[in-house]
Amino acid sequence: MRLLQKWILYIPYVLFSLFVLFPFFWGLRTSLAEQFDPRLIPSHFTLRHYQTLLSRPDFFLYLRNSLAIASASILITLVISALGGYALARLRFKGKSLGGLLLILPLLPPVAILVPLISYFQRLRLYNTLSAVIIANVVFSLPLTVWMMRNFILSNPVEIEESARIDGCSRCRMLFSIVLPMVGPGLIAVALFVFINSWNTYLFAFALTSSQSLRVIPQGILAFLGTWGTYWGGLCAAGILALIPPVALFLVFQKWFIAGVFGYQLK
Amino acid sequence: MPKRSYSNTAMVRSLRGSEPIAYAFLAPTLLLIAFFLISPMLSGLFMSFNKTSLSGLTRFVGLRNYQFLLSEERFLSNLQLSLLYVVCNLGISLPLAYVSASLLTRKMRGTVFFRSIFLLPWIVAPVVSSLLFRSMVDPAFGPLGMLLEKITGQQHVMLAEPFWAMATIIFHSIWRSLPFMTLFLAAGMAMIPREFYEAAKVDGAGPWKQFCTLTLPLTKIHLLIVLLTITLWTLQDAETVYALTEGGPGYSTEVMALRLFKESFINFDLNRGATLGILLLLVGLAFMISYARITAKEQD
Repeated sequence: MRLLQKWILYIPYVLFSLFVLFPFFWGLRTSLAEQFDPRLIPSHFTLRHYQTLLSRPDFFLYLRNSLAIASASILITLVISALGGYALARLRFKGKSLGGLLLILPLLPPVAILVPLISYFQRLRLYNTLSAVIIANVVFSLPLTVWMMRNFILSNPVEIEESARIDGCSRCRMLFSIVLPMVGPGLIAVALFVFINSWNTYLFAFALTSSQSLRVIPQGILAFLGTWGTYWGGLCAAGILALIPPVALFLVFQKWFIAGVFGYQLK
Repeated sequence: MPKRSYSNTAMVRSLRGSEPIAYAFLAPTLLLIAFFLISPMLSGLFMSFNKTSLSGLTRFVGLRNYQFLLSEERFLSNLQLSLLYVVCNLGISLPLAYVSASLLTRKMRGTVFFRSIFLLPWIVAPVVSSLLFRSMVDPAFGPLGMLLEKITGQQHVMLAEPFWAMATIIFHSIWRSLPFMTLFLAAGMAMIPREFYEAAKVDGAGPWKQFCTLTLPLTKIHLLIVLLTITLWTLQDAETVYALTEGGPGYSTEVMALRLFKESFINFDLNRGATLGILLLLVGLAFMISYARITAKEQD
């Protein structure tokens, strides 16, 4: 009886999970089923839709662009947020109390800021380049990632740094050889946050580039939607492949990611 | 504790002063934010008072861009749809989020496992989840499309009918934001001591009374953050609406952010886009102020 009671407690969890997971299940099932098979569990499975998708060279072009943008954005954001986060966590300077203003910036709508950015990038001769998309990714992530790094550094004991300081260690060396190795989870949380944002967003690429050769994966999916119409098998295959990288990385590193993203608002 | 003694040395105390290197460390962040975030905001305001002709000539037109939009039927519908989008999304998902959060705050095995499942909609690209929802409302074989056919007795091409198209957009948005809201509220509710509820039970308070007198007031900060975040996400959401309906049929699902998106990035009318951006910002600000006032009023 007690065991039964214990299991009943899990019912809301299971119901909620079904609500959350059903679209994923449906996408996976559609990507593996024969076309227009209306049964929930199809009678037999096929990999044909994936073959159709992977036989298109443009899919790999989108993949390459997305990976290039994501890795450059991650690298740049990591360095800048480590520097800024360290200053906000450990250094004394005038105006430090204004640091919290960083948390207001993510509330600004990127879709509105992109409009003047188009003419900025035109003047900088960066419009229609991957660099423009990378800069947009970095800038819109920075307010949160700097704050995330600040919190991760603050949660470390300061004593080790103080003794290194007395041994004559410079601030720069201290940051890179003592502090950063201790905040590995913070670096991973920031990297994952930037990866998910840049991998998922098509707004920046849509606004700041015009060539087909610079499209990113979400734009590619929109283009497939335009040309394939209701060929759901191929479309869902593209969707499933596109969601694997962020979901896999999230599942592996979720502990640190959640601490980084949810911690920043609670501290 | 030997380490403590360090912090008492004169050496460490001298570190308490201002350190110029801090500005060097913060410079990249501040420069990028100033140049690519703050300054575009001001340029946007400036652009909204100008008009650029096809020949590339820019001239000052005062409030003409605003007058045009505010007297245009299409824009008034954009505005209404944006408000409808925010109100429906929050109105449906907020009560659900409180219910699911209160179920989830029970301490039991497996919560970490479920937590990672619940966050998945938030990790997936908006365009991918839009694609999955589009396939689910397909009239020929999508489960939601067929369910609607069973209930109403006739086939609906959901994305071609204004009501069902908007309903799909809202449902999709609830699916994306509910898990995030749930986890955030659950984090707030987990901080309320259990004894409070036990005391309330002794006083004979039912679940509803407990919610009104304990849960709601004690999660006010979390509620405020959730309201703000989800409101602003929904207001500025052009990506999912474009991927789901492109604003159609007609303009019947064209929210403000999508109008801005289309005017600026497809028609390249940057002045009108900038004007829409300022109006979008003002609507967001209006929501923020009203939330702040409601919260302040309840404090009395």
